[in-house]
Order: sequence, then structure tokens, then C-alpha cells
Amino acid sequence: MDGGKAPDSGVKGRVELPLTEAFRVSLEQIQRRLRRSGIIIASIALGIALLSHFLVTNLIFEAYGKVMGVTMEAYQFWLIVVSFIVCVIGLTNSSLIAVYERYREIGTMKSLGALDRHILELFLIESTIFGLVGGSLGFITGALSASVSSGSQIGFGALLSVQAFDLLLNFSYSVGLAVVLNIVSTMYPAYKAAKLRPVEALRYEI
Amino acid sequence: MKYDTIIETEDLHKHYEVGGVAIKALDGVDLKFRRGEYSSIVGPSGSGKTTLFNMIGGLDRPTKGRVFIDEIDVSKLDAYELAWLRCHKVGYIFQTFNLLPVMTALENVSLPMIFAGMPRKEREKNAIEILDRVGLGNRLHHRPSELSAGQQQRVALARALANDPSIILADEPTGNLDSQTGHEIIQLLSSINKERGVTIIAATHDLKIIDVSDSVIFMRDGKVERVETRS
Repeated sequence: MDGGKAPDSGVKGRVELPLTEAFRVSLEQIQRRLRRSGIIIASIALGIALLSHFLVTNLIFEAYGKVMGVTMEAYQFWLIVVSFIVCVIGLTNSSLIAVYERYREIGTMKSLGALDRHILELFLIESTIFGLVGGSLGFITGALSASVSSGSQIGFGALLSVQAFDLLLNFSYSVGLAVVLNIVSTMYPAYKAAKLRPVEALRYEI
Repeated sequence: MKYDTIIETEDLHKHYEVGGVAIKALDGVDLKFRRGEYSSIVGPSGSGKTTLFNMIGGLDRPTKGRVFIDEIDVSKLDAYELAWLRCHKVGYIFQTFNLLPVMTALENVSLPMIFAGMPRKEREKNAIEILDRVGLGNRLHHRPSELSAGQQQRVALARALANDPSIILADEPTGNLDSQTGHEIIQLLSSINKERGVTIIAATHDLKIIDVSDSVIFMRDGKVERVETRS
């Protein structure tokens, strides 16, 4: 956007939020709200851990099955579906709350001259970071628990038959899902809040 | 003599609908504010002073009528221009301070300057200078939760001054403060008004603010009852 545009008053000035500044502000927000950030990241990680536990279990059994002639049971497939749903609900819930509790802050920022897209930019950066960190932590947890539980069932040797590439693929699915879901569920209320007139956002009651 | 008018409202109306009943929060307000003056808007709660305040500051849109700030018709501004106006022309002080809780005093005051595109070094230098002016030079790195109510309102005042606006709008600035602290804030506003020539408009119940005002606007039922000019 053209930053030099201003009403015809003879006064020069701009309204902007450089990406580096936005990134810095977002990072600071995350650090300062360490407990809140921790809860959000944990709930993302939990959802992803559950999902990736079943994904990786499936992976191990499939890889092992190729050697031993064992196939995936129907209930394993449904476990993945259910854990996916649980993951989506937990994740959207926490990011919705994180935005709603900051309506007043959004109103204040707008009264200081922030544009709608500045607000969205800040939330976008924040939710991407949450998604990446929570998703990665979740996958690691899920993959570890899957290895331990399947290893103890069919022998830890089975783990060796899993291809690194497949594991990486599942990692990207899980983290990608965490990022996308977190962005979608954050941006919807953030967009709603950013669109409000400052006076409405300031007096918004949840 | 023709005075230099900074804000003018023209037949300003704001109607709300609450539970199917139409409420006229503003019912035809014509006002002029002179540049560099300290004005108060007084009236019982529900008289429309906060609504008027929000209209003047471009925080809300009128149902009918117009607001001019420095001859700019605020109702004609698009979203970007309104943000520009809030960023550069107007500084707000709220009854509830509205500081960002996760940011230090210095960061809170710097925020409007980030939106104004000021480089970091300049921003910090300015913010320190302003915080020093409001007597918080030794509280730069404290967060709102570590400051008293009076100190928080000083940070809010410093933040309002950040981009050197021509107007400061204060909605019940002393409403959440004890009488002594409130008095200090009023004196500070008054001296900044004289020092910088910034126009100050305060919506208030507080008689102490009225005492230092150049003009007092009495509101009732969404209308201007009378205007008293002093000095």
C-alpha cells in the first residue's frame, strides 16, 4: 500500500507497520504472555500428539506389515479420524479464546492509528509461530509415544523398518495441519475484531 | 476577531437502537473548538458526552451530521485516512487507561510512533523524553501492572502525546483516580496544554477539570445546553 497517502491537510505522514517491527512485537507478546502462550502451545501440541501418535503407529505397523504380512485394522483408521477431530476442536478452541480476550487491546491499537491489516498481521505472525512450535512438539511427543507402545507390542526391531521419508512426510502433515488450523481459527475472530470501529472493540463484552 | 477553529461539528446526530427503542445519544450538536484551548464537556451520564467524544476522535461514525478537524470532513475519510487521523492528529486518554498490559511504559509510548513509521532510535529517544516530561523518567521499563493508577494514566498521557497530535481527547481522565492523583493529572494536562499549544477536550464529571478549562460545554439529553467561555 502507498504509505505516503494522507488527507489533504498539508501534513505529511504515514501509517505503517514494517514486517520486522510486527515480528518483534509479536515475539515480545508471546514472551510476555509466557503462561498463556504455553497453554496455547501445549493444547496445540496435545492435539497434534494424539493425531501423530496414531499416524506414526500406523506407519510402523504398515512398514512392519510389509515384512510380516500384517494389515492395518479398521479400528486403527477410525482412531486416526477421531484423534483428528479432537485435535481440530482443541486447537480452534484455544486460539479463539486467545483472540477474544484481546478485543480491548485491538480497540486500543486501532485508536492509536493501527490499520485493520496491522492487527491481522500481528495475529498471523503469532499464530504461525504457535502452530510451528506446538505442531513440532506435538509430533515429537506423538512419534515417541507411538514408538514406545508399538515397539513394546511387536518388538522394537519393527521401528527400523520405518522409512525416514515417510516419517518426515507425516511430520510435515502434522505441523502443516497445526499451522493451518491455528491460522484459520485465529484469523476469523481477529478479522472480526479488526473490522470493528475502535469504540465497539473497546467496549466489547465476551 | 475570528478565532482559529480546530474542530467543528455540524448538526451532529447519533441514534442507537436498544431493545427496539431508539435512543438519540446526540441530537443535533453544533460546536466549535478553538485551537489551543482546554475545553471540558460536562453533563450527567447518558447526556451524550462520551458519544460526542468518540465522534470527534473518529472512533465512531455519526448517524447524521458532520465533524471537521482542521477543515477535514471526518465522515468522508476512508479507513486508511481515519487511521492516519488517529495516528497523527489525535491523542486519546481513556478513563481505564487502556495500556497494553504486556508492554513496558516505554513500549506503550513507542507504539503510536511505530505506526507513524518512525525509526527505532528516534522513537526511543522521543518516548524517553515524553515519559520524562510526565515525571516517569525512572519508570521506563515498568509494565502497567507494576505502576500505580496515577502513573498508568501518565503513561497514557505520554502515549497520547507520542506523535505530537494537535488534539488530545480525554474521556473521564480522572474517573478512576483518587482526588489527589486526579488533581496532579489535571495540572499536568493543563501545563502541557500551555506548553505545546495542544487542544485538549475532556469529557468529565470532575469539577477540578472545569476549573482549569477555557471553555465548558454543558450537555443534556444529547443536546448542548450551554457553553461557558472563560479567560
